[in-house]
Amino acid sequence: MTGYLLEIVQALLALLLAPGLVGFVRWVKSRLQNRRGAPPWLPYFELGKLFGKEVVMSKNASWLFRFAPYIVFTSTLAVTLLVPLIAAPLPFDNVGDLLVVVYLLLLGTFFLALAGLDPGTAFGGMGASREMTVAAIAEPTIALAAFGLALSAGSTNLGHIVTATLVNPGLAISPSHLLAFAALFIVTLAETGRLPVDNPATHLELTMIHEAMILEYSGRYLALIEWAAWLKLTIFFSLLANLFVPWGLATALTPMALAIAVMTLILKLAILGVVVAVVETRVAKLRLFRVPELLGVSFVLALLAVTSSFLLK
Amino acid sequence: MNDSLFSELSTLGSSVVLLFGITLLWRRSLHAYTDAFRWQSAVLALIFVMIGYFGDDPELYFIAVFLLILKVWIMPHYLQRMAKQFGGERESQPYVNIATSLILAGLLVLLAYAVTRPLVLVSTLPTRGGLPLAMGLIFVGLFVVITRKKALTQIVGFLVMENGIALLAVLGTFGIPLIVELGVFLDVLMGFLVMQVFVYHIHDTFESIDVDQLNELKH
Repeated sequence: MTGYLLEIVQALLALLLAPGLVGFVRWVKSRLQNRRGAPPWLPYFELGKLFGKEVVMSKNASWLFRFAPYIVFTSTLAVTLLVPLIAAPLPFDNVGDLLVVVYLLLLGTFFLALAGLDPGTAFGGMGASREMTVAAIAEPTIALAAFGLALSAGSTNLGHIVTATLVNPGLAISPSHLLAFAALFIVTLAETGRLPVDNPATHLELTMIHEAMILEYSGRYLALIEWAAWLKLTIFFSLLANLFVPWGLATALTPMALAIAVMTLILKLAILGVVVAVVETRVAKLRLFRVPELLGVSFVLALLAVTSSFLLK
Repeated sequence: MNDSLFSELSTLGSSVVLLFGITLLWRRSLHAYTDAFRWQSAVLALIFVMIGYFGDDPELYFIAVFLLILKVWIMPHYLQRMAKQFGGERESQPYVNIATSLILAGLLVLLAYAVTRPLVLVSTLPTRGGLPLAMGLIFVGLFVVITRKKALTQIVGFLVMENGIALLAVLGTFGIPLIVELGVFLDVLMGFLVMQVFVYHIHDTFESIDVDQLNELKH
Protein backbone atom coordinates (compact mmCIF):
# COMPACT_ATOMS: atom_id res chain seq x y z
CA MET A 1 0.00 0.00 0.00
CA THR A 2 2.73 2.44 0.97
CA GLY A 3 4.40 1.47 -2.29
CA TYR A 4 1.49 2.72 -4.36
CA LEU A 5 1.30 5.84 -2.24
CA LEU A 6 4.97 6.38 -3.00
CA GLU A 7 4.31 6.03 -6.72
CA ILE A 8 1.56 8.63 -6.57
CA VAL A 9 3.71 11.00 -4.54
CA GLN A 10 6.52 10.56 -7.04
CA ALA A 11 4.30 11.32 -10.05
CA LEU A 12 2.85 14.37 -8.32
CA LEU A 13 6.31 15.57 -7.38
CA ALA A 14 7.47 15.28 -10.98
CA LEU A 15 4.40 17.14 -12.20
CA LEU A 16 5.03 19.91 -9.69
CA LEU A 17 8.75 20.19 -10.28
CA ALA A 18 8.65 20.16 -14.08
CA PRO A 19 7.50 23.77 -14.71
CA GLY A 20 9.79 25.02 -11.97
CA LEU A 21 12.78 23.27 -13.54
CA VAL A 22 12.10 24.80 -16.96
CA GLY A 23 11.59 28.21 -15.39
CA PHE A 24 14.84 27.80 -13.48
CA VAL A 25 16.79 26.88 -16.64
CA ARG A 26 15.32 29.91 -18.44
CA TRP A 27 16.16 32.17 -15.50
CA VAL A 28 19.77 30.96 -15.21
CA LYS A 29 20.15 31.32 -18.94
CA SER A 30 18.94 34.89 -18.95
CA ARG A 31 21.17 35.77 -15.99
CA LEU A 32 24.13 34.32 -17.89
CA GLN A 33 23.21 36.47 -20.87
CA ASN A 34 23.02 39.63 -18.75
CA ARG A 35 19.27 39.80 -18.86
CA ARG A 36 17.05 40.12 -15.81
CA GLY A 37 14.93 37.19 -16.89
CA ALA A 38 11.44 36.15 -15.95
CA PRO A 39 11.06 34.69 -12.44
CA PRO A 40 11.56 30.91 -12.30
CA TRP A 41 7.94 30.30 -11.29
CA LEU A 42 6.53 31.92 -14.43
CA PRO A 43 5.77 28.55 -16.15
CA TYR A 44 3.22 27.77 -13.41
CA PHE A 45 1.31 30.89 -14.35
CA GLU A 46 1.72 30.02 -18.01
CA LEU A 47 0.03 26.69 -17.37
CA GLY A 48 -2.75 28.33 -15.38
CA LYS A 49 -3.33 30.86 -18.16
CA LEU A 50 -3.36 28.26 -20.91
CA PHE A 51 -5.79 25.99 -19.03
CA GLY A 52 -8.18 28.92 -18.71
CA LYS A 53 -8.15 29.82 -22.39
CA GLU A 54 -10.57 28.61 -25.02
CA VAL A 55 -9.39 26.08 -27.60
CA VAL A 56 -9.22 27.27 -31.19
CA MET A 57 -8.93 24.55 -33.79
CA SER A 58 -8.51 24.36 -37.52
CA LYS A 59 -11.51 23.08 -39.46
CA ASN A 60 -9.29 20.48 -41.11
CA ALA A 61 -8.14 18.96 -37.83
CA SER A 62 -9.38 15.43 -37.14
CA TRP A 63 -10.00 13.54 -33.90
CA LEU A 64 -6.30 12.67 -33.85
CA PHE A 65 -5.42 16.30 -33.23
CA ARG A 66 -7.76 16.38 -30.23
CA PHE A 67 -6.58 13.01 -28.99
CA ALA A 68 -2.80 13.45 -29.24
CA PRO A 69 -2.25 15.85 -26.32
CA TYR A 70 -3.81 13.36 -23.92
CA ILE A 71 -1.63 10.52 -25.19
CA VAL A 72 1.48 12.68 -25.05
CA PHE A 73 0.68 13.76 -21.52
CA THR A 74 -0.37 10.40 -20.12
CA SER A 75 2.49 8.45 -21.70
CA THR A 76 4.95 10.90 -20.17
CA LEU A 77 3.14 10.77 -16.85
CA ALA A 78 3.25 6.97 -16.93
CA VAL A 79 7.03 7.17 -17.21
CA THR A 80 7.25 9.08 -13.93
CA LEU A 81 5.83 5.99 -12.22
CA LEU A 82 8.68 3.85 -13.55
CA VAL A 83 11.70 6.11 -13.15
CA PRO A 84 13.35 6.12 -9.72
CA LEU A 85 12.88 9.76 -8.77
CA ILE A 86 13.06 9.57 -4.98
CA ALA A 87 13.21 5.89 -4.01
CA ALA A 88 15.21 3.09 -5.54
CA PRO A 89 13.49 -0.27 -5.86
CA LEU A 90 10.00 0.91 -6.80
CA PRO A 91 6.96 -1.36 -6.59
CA PHE A 92 6.37 -0.78 -10.32
CA ASP A 93 9.87 -1.93 -11.24
CA ASN A 94 8.51 -5.19 -12.54
CA VAL A 95 5.97 -3.42 -14.73
CA GLY A 96 8.53 -1.83 -17.00
CA ASP A 97 12.28 -1.51 -17.36
CA LEU A 98 14.52 1.05 -19.01
CA LEU A 99 13.39 0.04 -22.49
CA VAL A 100 9.75 0.60 -21.61
CA VAL A 101 10.65 4.06 -20.35
CA VAL A 102 12.46 4.89 -23.58
CA TYR A 103 9.66 3.68 -25.81
CA LEU A 104 6.89 5.28 -23.75
CA LEU A 105 8.67 8.58 -24.28
CA LEU A 106 8.97 7.84 -27.99
CA LEU A 107 5.25 7.00 -28.15
CA GLY A 108 4.58 10.57 -27.09
CA THR A 109 7.00 11.88 -29.72
CA PHE A 110 5.29 9.77 -32.37
CA PHE A 111 1.82 11.06 -31.58
CA LEU A 112 3.08 14.61 -31.39
CA ALA A 113 4.51 14.23 -34.89
CA LEU A 114 1.19 12.81 -36.13
CA ALA A 115 -0.65 15.72 -34.57
CA GLY A 116 1.77 18.09 -36.26
CA LEU A 117 0.92 16.57 -39.63
CA ASP A 118 -2.81 16.42 -39.01
CA PRO A 119 -4.02 20.01 -39.59
CA GLY A 120 -2.05 20.10 -42.85
CA THR A 121 -0.10 23.30 -42.24
CA ALA A 122 3.32 23.72 -43.77
CA PHE A 123 5.06 24.31 -40.46
CA GLY A 124 3.50 21.29 -38.78
CA GLY A 125 4.67 18.92 -41.49
CA MET A 126 8.15 20.38 -41.48
CA GLY A 127 8.41 20.13 -37.70
CA ALA A 128 7.12 16.57 -37.72
CA SER A 129 9.57 15.42 -40.33
CA ARG A 130 12.45 17.04 -38.48
CA GLU A 131 11.37 15.60 -35.14
CA MET A 132 11.23 12.15 -36.69
CA THR A 133 14.70 12.61 -38.23
CA VAL A 134 16.11 13.47 -34.83
CA ALA A 135 14.14 10.77 -33.01
CA ALA A 136 15.16 8.09 -35.51
CA ILE A 137 18.84 8.69 -34.81
CA ALA A 138 18.43 9.41 -31.11
CA GLU A 139 16.46 6.27 -30.39
CA PRO A 140 19.15 3.64 -31.14
CA THR A 141 21.56 5.77 -29.12
CA ILE A 142 19.33 5.72 -26.04
CA ALA A 143 18.81 1.99 -26.43
CA LEU A 144 22.56 1.38 -26.76
CA ALA A 145 23.37 3.58 -23.77
CA ALA A 146 20.72 1.68 -21.81
CA PHE A 147 22.37 -1.59 -22.77
CA GLY A 148 25.72 -0.21 -21.66
CA LEU A 149 24.23 0.41 -18.21
CA ALA A 150 22.31 -2.84 -18.18
CA LEU A 151 25.34 -4.94 -19.06
CA SER A 152 27.35 -3.72 -16.10
CA ALA A 153 24.37 -4.07 -13.74
CA GLY A 154 23.23 -7.38 -15.19
CA SER A 155 19.65 -6.25 -15.73
CA THR A 156 17.66 -3.64 -17.63
CA ASN A 157 15.52 -3.15 -14.56
CA LEU A 158 15.94 0.42 -13.33
CA GLY A 159 15.88 -0.56 -9.66
CA HIS A 160 18.59 -3.15 -10.26
CA ILE A 161 20.81 -0.67 -12.09
CA VAL A 162 20.50 1.84 -9.27
CA THR A 163 21.18 -0.67 -6.50
CA ALA A 164 24.09 -2.17 -8.43
CA THR A 165 25.78 1.23 -8.46
CA LEU A 166 24.90 1.84 -4.80
CA VAL A 167 26.43 -1.50 -3.79
CA ASN A 168 29.51 -1.06 -5.96
CA PRO A 169 30.42 2.67 -6.15
CA GLY A 170 33.36 1.92 -8.49
CA LEU A 171 30.82 1.39 -11.27
CA ALA A 172 30.04 5.11 -11.26
CA ILE A 173 33.50 6.00 -12.60
CA SER A 174 33.78 3.00 -14.91
CA PRO A 175 34.24 4.08 -18.53
CA SER A 176 31.04 2.42 -19.64
CA HIS A 177 29.00 4.52 -17.23
CA LEU A 178 30.73 7.76 -18.11
CA LEU A 179 30.47 7.15 -21.85
CA ALA A 180 26.82 6.20 -21.51
CA PHE A 181 26.27 9.36 -19.46
CA ALA A 182 27.84 11.51 -22.17
CA ALA A 183 25.78 9.78 -24.85
CA LEU A 184 22.56 10.19 -22.87
CA PHE A 185 23.35 13.82 -22.15
CA ILE A 186 23.63 14.64 -25.86
CA VAL A 187 20.45 12.69 -26.54
CA THR A 188 18.72 14.55 -23.72
CA LEU A 189 19.53 17.84 -25.43
CA ALA A 190 18.19 16.48 -28.72
CA GLU A 191 15.07 14.79 -27.37
CA THR A 192 13.94 17.64 -25.16
CA GLY A 193 14.49 20.23 -27.87
CA ARG A 194 17.33 22.20 -26.32
CA LEU A 195 20.23 23.93 -28.04
CA PRO A 196 22.26 23.01 -30.12
CA VAL A 197 19.57 20.86 -31.74
CA ASP A 198 16.47 22.98 -31.30
CA ASN A 199 16.04 26.41 -29.78
CA PRO A 200 13.42 26.32 -27.03
CA ALA A 201 13.14 30.11 -26.97
CA THR A 202 11.83 30.67 -30.49
CA HIS A 203 8.30 30.82 -31.68
CA LEU A 204 8.70 31.77 -35.30
CA GLU A 205 11.86 30.61 -36.90
CA LEU A 206 12.32 28.47 -39.97
CA THR A 207 14.56 26.03 -38.14
CA MET A 208 12.36 25.28 -35.14
CA ILE A 209 11.39 21.67 -34.48
CA HIS A 210 9.25 21.30 -31.38
CA GLU A 211 7.55 24.66 -31.73
CA ALA A 212 6.75 23.96 -35.38
CA MET A 213 4.80 20.85 -34.47
CA ILE A 214 2.69 22.45 -31.78
CA LEU A 215 2.07 25.70 -33.60
CA GLU A 216 -1.60 24.85 -34.20
CA TYR A 217 -2.36 24.04 -30.59
CA SER A 218 -3.99 26.40 -28.16
CA GLY A 219 -5.73 26.46 -24.80
CA ARG A 220 -5.70 23.39 -22.63
CA TYR A 221 -4.25 21.21 -25.39
CA LEU A 222 -1.22 23.44 -25.62
CA ALA A 223 -0.98 23.42 -21.83
CA LEU A 224 -0.96 19.61 -21.77
CA ILE A 225 1.67 19.39 -24.48
CA GLU A 226 3.91 21.99 -22.90
CA TRP A 227 3.57 20.35 -19.51
CA ALA A 228 4.43 16.98 -21.05
CA ALA A 229 7.50 18.47 -22.73
CA TRP A 230 8.68 19.95 -19.42
CA LEU A 231 7.95 16.65 -17.71
CA LYS A 232 10.07 14.92 -20.32
CA LEU A 233 12.97 17.24 -19.51
CA THR A 234 12.54 16.45 -15.81
CA ILE A 235 12.47 12.72 -16.55
CA PHE A 236 15.59 12.80 -18.70
CA PHE A 237 17.39 14.88 -16.06
CA SER A 238 16.43 12.53 -13.27
CA LEU A 239 17.45 9.52 -15.38
CA LEU A 240 20.84 11.16 -15.87
CA ALA A 241 21.07 12.06 -12.19
CA ASN A 242 19.75 8.93 -10.56
CA LEU A 243 21.05 6.20 -12.83
CA PHE A 244 24.60 7.49 -12.81
CA VAL A 245 24.82 9.21 -9.41
CA PRO A 246 22.23 7.35 -7.36
CA TRP A 247 23.36 8.57 -3.93
CA GLY A 248 20.62 10.29 -1.99
CA LEU A 249 17.85 8.04 -3.26
CA ALA A 250 15.73 6.54 -0.49
CA THR A 251 16.28 2.80 -0.25
CA ALA A 252 14.05 2.48 2.82
CA LEU A 253 10.65 4.11 3.07
CA THR A 254 11.21 6.24 6.14
CA PRO A 255 10.02 9.88 6.15
CA MET A 256 13.56 11.08 6.85
CA ALA A 257 15.07 9.18 3.90
CA LEU A 258 12.29 10.40 1.61
CA ALA A 259 12.80 14.00 2.68
CA ILE A 260 16.53 13.70 1.96
CA ALA A 261 15.72 12.07 -1.37
CA VAL A 262 13.44 14.94 -2.39
CA MET A 263 16.07 17.50 -1.42
CA THR A 264 18.85 15.69 -3.33
CA LEU A 265 16.58 15.28 -6.34
CA ILE A 266 15.92 19.02 -6.42
CA LEU A 267 19.63 19.69 -5.97
CA LYS A 268 20.61 17.30 -8.77
CA LEU A 269 17.99 18.76 -11.11
CA ALA A 270 19.23 22.25 -10.30
CA ILE A 271 22.84 21.27 -11.04
CA LEU A 272 21.88 19.70 -14.37
CA GLY A 273 19.72 22.74 -15.10
CA VAL A 274 22.70 25.05 -14.59
CA VAL A 275 24.85 22.80 -16.80
CA VAL A 276 22.28 22.88 -19.58
CA ALA A 277 21.88 26.65 -19.23
CA VAL A 278 25.66 27.11 -19.54
CA VAL A 279 25.76 24.80 -22.57
CA GLU A 280 22.89 26.68 -24.17
CA THR A 281 24.62 30.00 -23.57
CA ARG A 282 27.92 28.83 -24.95
CA VAL A 283 26.95 26.95 -28.09
CA ALA A 284 25.18 28.19 -31.18
CA LYS A 285 22.42 26.22 -32.80
CA LEU A 286 23.74 23.63 -35.23
CA ARG A 287 22.68 23.70 -38.82
CA LEU A 288 19.98 21.09 -39.29
CA PHE A 289 22.22 18.93 -41.42
CA ARG A 290 24.90 18.84 -38.74
CA VAL A 291 22.47 17.48 -36.17
CA PRO A 292 22.86 13.88 -37.43
CA GLU A 293 26.61 14.32 -36.99
CA LEU A 294 26.18 15.37 -33.37
CA LEU A 295 23.90 12.41 -32.77
CA GLY A 296 26.47 10.28 -34.58
CA VAL A 297 28.97 11.34 -31.91
CA SER A 298 26.60 10.30 -29.18
CA PHE A 299 25.93 7.01 -30.99
CA VAL A 300 29.65 6.26 -31.07
CA LEU A 301 29.88 7.13 -27.37
CA ALA A 302 27.07 4.72 -26.60
CA LEU A 303 28.67 2.05 -28.78
CA LEU A 304 31.95 2.45 -26.90
CA ALA A 305 30.06 2.25 -23.61
CA VAL A 306 28.56 -1.07 -24.62
CA THR A 307 31.83 -2.49 -25.95
CA SER A 308 33.80 -1.45 -22.89
CA SER A 309 31.32 -3.08 -20.52
CA PHE A 310 30.76 -6.13 -22.72
CA LEU A 311 34.23 -6.96 -23.95
CA LEU A 312 36.11 -6.20 -20.77
CA LYS A 313 34.23 -8.77 -18.73
CA MET B 1 40.96 -1.96 -3.61
CA ASN B 2 44.05 -0.10 -4.73
CA ASP B 3 44.46 -2.39 -7.69
CA SER B 4 40.85 -2.13 -8.79
CA LEU B 5 40.96 1.66 -8.45
CA PHE B 6 44.12 1.68 -10.56
CA SER B 7 42.53 -0.44 -13.26
CA GLU B 8 39.34 1.68 -13.28
CA LEU B 9 41.35 4.89 -13.50
CA SER B 10 43.63 3.64 -16.26
CA THR B 11 40.69 2.43 -18.35
CA LEU B 12 38.92 5.71 -17.71
CA GLY B 13 41.97 7.75 -18.72
CA SER B 14 42.43 5.69 -21.86
CA SER B 15 38.79 6.23 -22.79
CA VAL B 16 39.16 9.98 -22.40
CA VAL B 17 42.29 9.95 -24.56
CA LEU B 18 40.43 7.93 -27.19
CA LEU B 19 37.49 10.33 -27.04
CA PHE B 20 39.73 13.28 -27.86
CA GLY B 21 40.93 11.27 -30.84
CA ILE B 22 37.36 10.74 -31.96
CA THR B 23 36.46 14.44 -31.55
CA LEU B 24 38.95 15.09 -34.35
CA LEU B 25 36.59 13.31 -36.69
CA TRP B 26 33.71 15.53 -35.71
CA ARG B 27 35.43 18.91 -35.84
CA ARG B 28 36.22 20.94 -38.93
CA SER B 29 38.35 23.92 -38.00
CA LEU B 30 42.12 23.65 -37.67
CA HIS B 31 41.95 25.29 -34.24
CA ALA B 32 39.64 22.59 -32.98
CA TYR B 33 42.07 19.93 -34.17
CA THR B 34 44.94 21.56 -32.33
CA ASP B 35 42.90 21.98 -29.16
CA ALA B 36 41.80 18.36 -29.19
CA PHE B 37 45.43 17.30 -29.56
CA ARG B 38 46.52 19.57 -26.71
CA TRP B 39 43.91 18.23 -24.31
CA GLN B 40 44.59 14.68 -25.35
CA SER B 41 48.28 15.07 -24.60
CA ALA B 42 47.48 16.63 -21.23
CA VAL B 43 45.35 13.64 -20.27
CA LEU B 44 48.08 11.33 -21.56
CA ALA B 45 50.57 13.05 -19.26
CA LEU B 46 48.16 12.51 -16.37
CA ILE B 47 48.02 8.81 -17.21
CA PHE B 48 51.82 8.68 -17.14
CA VAL B 49 51.80 10.31 -13.70
CA MET B 50 49.13 7.92 -12.48
CA ILE B 51 50.97 4.84 -13.70
CA GLY B 52 54.16 6.22 -12.18
CA TYR B 53 52.36 6.59 -8.86
CA PHE B 54 50.61 3.22 -8.77
CA GLY B 55 53.46 1.32 -10.44
CA ASP B 56 56.02 3.04 -8.20
CA ASP B 57 58.24 4.22 -11.05
CA PRO B 58 59.47 7.82 -10.57
CA GLU B 59 61.00 7.88 -14.07
CA LEU B 60 57.52 8.22 -15.47
CA TYR B 61 57.15 11.61 -13.77
CA PHE B 62 60.05 12.92 -15.87
CA ILE B 63 58.49 11.55 -19.01
CA ALA B 64 55.21 13.19 -18.08
CA VAL B 65 56.97 16.54 -17.70
CA PHE B 66 58.67 16.13 -21.08
CA LEU B 67 55.33 15.20 -22.56
CA LEU B 68 53.73 18.32 -21.10
CA ILE B 69 56.45 20.56 -22.47
CA LEU B 70 56.59 18.97 -25.90
CA LYS B 71 53.04 17.98 -26.69
CA VAL B 72 50.98 20.34 -24.59
CA TRP B 73 53.07 23.45 -25.03
CA ILE B 74 55.54 23.48 -27.95
CA MET B 75 53.80 21.42 -30.64
CA PRO B 76 50.31 22.87 -30.15
CA HIS B 77 51.90 26.31 -30.09
CA TYR B 78 53.42 25.82 -33.54
CA LEU B 79 50.30 24.10 -34.80
CA GLN B 80 48.24 27.03 -33.54
CA ARG B 81 50.57 29.44 -35.34
CA MET B 82 50.20 27.55 -38.59
CA ALA B 83 46.45 27.36 -38.06
CA LYS B 84 46.36 31.13 -37.65
CA GLN B 85 48.36 31.61 -40.84
CA PHE B 86 46.13 29.32 -42.89
CA GLY B 87 43.18 30.24 -40.70
CA GLY B 88 40.58 30.50 -43.41
CA GLU B 89 41.00 26.89 -44.39
CA ARG B 90 38.77 24.28 -42.85
CA GLU B 91 38.46 20.57 -43.17
CA SER B 92 35.25 21.13 -45.06
CA GLN B 93 35.19 18.16 -47.39
CA PRO B 94 37.13 15.17 -46.12
CA TYR B 95 37.31 12.06 -48.30
CA VAL B 96 34.88 10.31 -45.96
CA ASN B 97 32.02 12.44 -44.64
CA ILE B 98 31.71 13.13 -40.94
CA ALA B 99 28.78 10.90 -40.01
CA THR B 100 30.31 7.94 -41.82
CA SER B 101 33.73 8.50 -40.32
CA LEU B 102 32.21 8.55 -36.82
CA ILE B 103 30.52 5.21 -37.41
CA LEU B 104 33.73 3.85 -38.93
CA ALA B 105 35.66 5.06 -35.89
CA GLY B 106 33.28 3.05 -33.72
CA LEU B 107 33.92 0.00 -35.88
CA LEU B 108 37.68 0.59 -35.74
CA VAL B 109 37.52 0.54 -31.96
CA LEU B 110 35.58 -2.73 -32.14
CA LEU B 111 38.31 -4.06 -34.44
CA ALA B 112 40.90 -2.97 -31.90
CA TYR B 113 39.04 -4.96 -29.24
CA ALA B 114 39.09 -7.98 -31.51
CA VAL B 115 42.79 -7.60 -32.31
CA THR B 116 43.92 -7.15 -28.71
CA ARG B 117 41.58 -9.82 -27.30
CA PRO B 118 44.29 -12.53 -27.03
CA LEU B 119 46.66 -10.04 -25.44
CA VAL B 120 44.10 -8.90 -22.87
CA LEU B 121 43.16 -12.51 -22.05
CA VAL B 122 46.69 -13.62 -21.17
CA SER B 123 47.66 -10.37 -19.49
CA THR B 124 47.42 -9.97 -15.73
CA LEU B 125 48.27 -6.27 -15.68
CA PRO B 126 45.79 -4.03 -13.87
CA THR B 127 45.99 -1.71 -16.89
CA ARG B 128 44.91 -4.33 -19.44
CA GLY B 129 41.48 -2.68 -19.84
CA GLY B 130 43.09 0.26 -21.60
CA LEU B 131 45.05 -1.76 -24.16
CA PRO B 132 42.22 -2.08 -26.72
CA LEU B 133 41.44 1.62 -26.34
CA ALA B 134 45.06 2.56 -27.05
CA MET B 135 45.05 0.29 -30.09
CA GLY B 136 41.77 1.90 -31.15
CA LEU B 137 43.37 5.33 -30.85
CA ILE B 138 46.20 4.24 -33.16
CA PHE B 139 43.61 3.11 -35.72
CA VAL B 140 41.62 6.33 -35.37
CA GLY B 141 44.78 8.41 -35.82
CA LEU B 142 45.66 6.47 -38.94
CA PHE B 143 42.10 6.93 -40.17
CA VAL B 144 42.39 10.71 -39.70
CA VAL B 145 45.64 10.70 -41.67
CA ILE B 146 44.18 8.86 -44.64
CA THR B 147 40.77 10.53 -44.85
CA ARG B 148 41.52 14.18 -44.15
CA LYS B 149 42.66 16.48 -46.91
CA LYS B 150 44.52 19.34 -45.23
CA ALA B 151 48.19 18.89 -44.50
CA LEU B 152 47.73 20.30 -41.01
CA THR B 153 44.94 17.93 -40.03
CA GLN B 154 47.01 15.05 -41.32
CA ILE B 155 49.87 16.11 -39.06
CA VAL B 156 47.51 16.20 -36.10
CA GLY B 157 46.28 12.74 -37.09
CA PHE B 158 49.86 11.52 -37.12
CA LEU B 159 50.57 13.04 -33.71
CA VAL B 160 47.41 11.48 -32.32
CA MET B 161 48.54 8.13 -33.64
CA GLU B 162 51.87 8.68 -31.92
CA ASN B 163 49.99 9.43 -28.68
CA GLY B 164 48.22 6.11 -29.15
CA ILE B 165 51.52 4.30 -29.45
CA ALA B 166 52.86 6.03 -26.34
CA LEU B 167 49.70 5.09 -24.46
CA LEU B 168 49.91 1.47 -25.60
CA ALA B 169 53.56 1.33 -24.54
CA VAL B 170 52.98 2.77 -21.08
CA LEU B 171 49.91 0.63 -20.42
CA GLY B 172 51.58 -2.54 -21.65
CA THR B 173 55.00 -2.17 -20.03
CA PHE B 174 54.58 0.38 -17.21
CA GLY B 175 57.14 2.64 -18.78
CA ILE B 176 59.89 1.99 -21.28
CA PRO B 177 63.40 3.03 -20.16
CA LEU B 178 63.82 6.79 -20.04
CA ILE B 179 66.45 6.85 -22.75
CA VAL B 180 64.21 5.05 -25.24
CA GLU B 181 61.32 7.38 -24.42
CA LEU B 182 63.58 10.41 -24.95
CA GLY B 183 64.66 9.01 -28.30
CA VAL B 184 61.04 8.63 -29.33
CA PHE B 185 60.27 12.20 -28.29
CA LEU B 186 63.19 13.48 -30.30
CA ASP B 187 62.04 11.47 -33.31
CA VAL B 188 58.55 12.88 -33.06
CA LEU B 189 59.87 16.41 -32.68
CA MET B 190 62.11 16.07 -35.74
CA GLY B 191 59.31 14.49 -37.73
CA PHE B 192 57.03 17.32 -36.71
CA LEU B 193 59.55 19.99 -37.73
CA VAL B 194 60.14 18.34 -41.11
CA MET B 195 56.41 18.11 -41.70
CA GLN B 196 56.02 21.74 -40.73
CA VAL B 197 58.57 22.72 -43.37
CA PHE B 198 56.64 20.67 -45.89
CA VAL B 199 53.39 22.37 -44.99
CA TYR B 200 54.92 25.79 -45.60
CA HIS B 201 56.29 24.62 -48.93
CA ILE B 202 52.94 23.18 -49.97
CA HIS B 203 51.31 26.44 -48.98
CA ASP B 204 53.86 28.49 -50.89
CA THR B 205 53.44 26.44 -54.03
CA PHE B 206 49.69 25.97 -54.13
CA GLU B 207 48.46 28.80 -51.86
CA SER B 208 46.49 26.17 -50.00
CA ILE B 209 47.33 23.31 -47.67
CA ASP B 210 44.96 20.94 -49.39
CA VAL B 211 47.05 17.87 -50.24
CA ASP B 212 44.65 17.04 -53.05
CA GLN B 213 46.40 19.79 -54.97
CA LEU B 214 49.58 17.73 -55.02
CA ASN B 215 47.95 15.68 -57.78
CA GLU B 216 48.66 18.58 -60.11
CA LEU B 217 52.34 17.72 -59.90
CA LYS B 218 51.66 14.66 -62.03
CA HIS B 219 50.99 16.69 -65.15
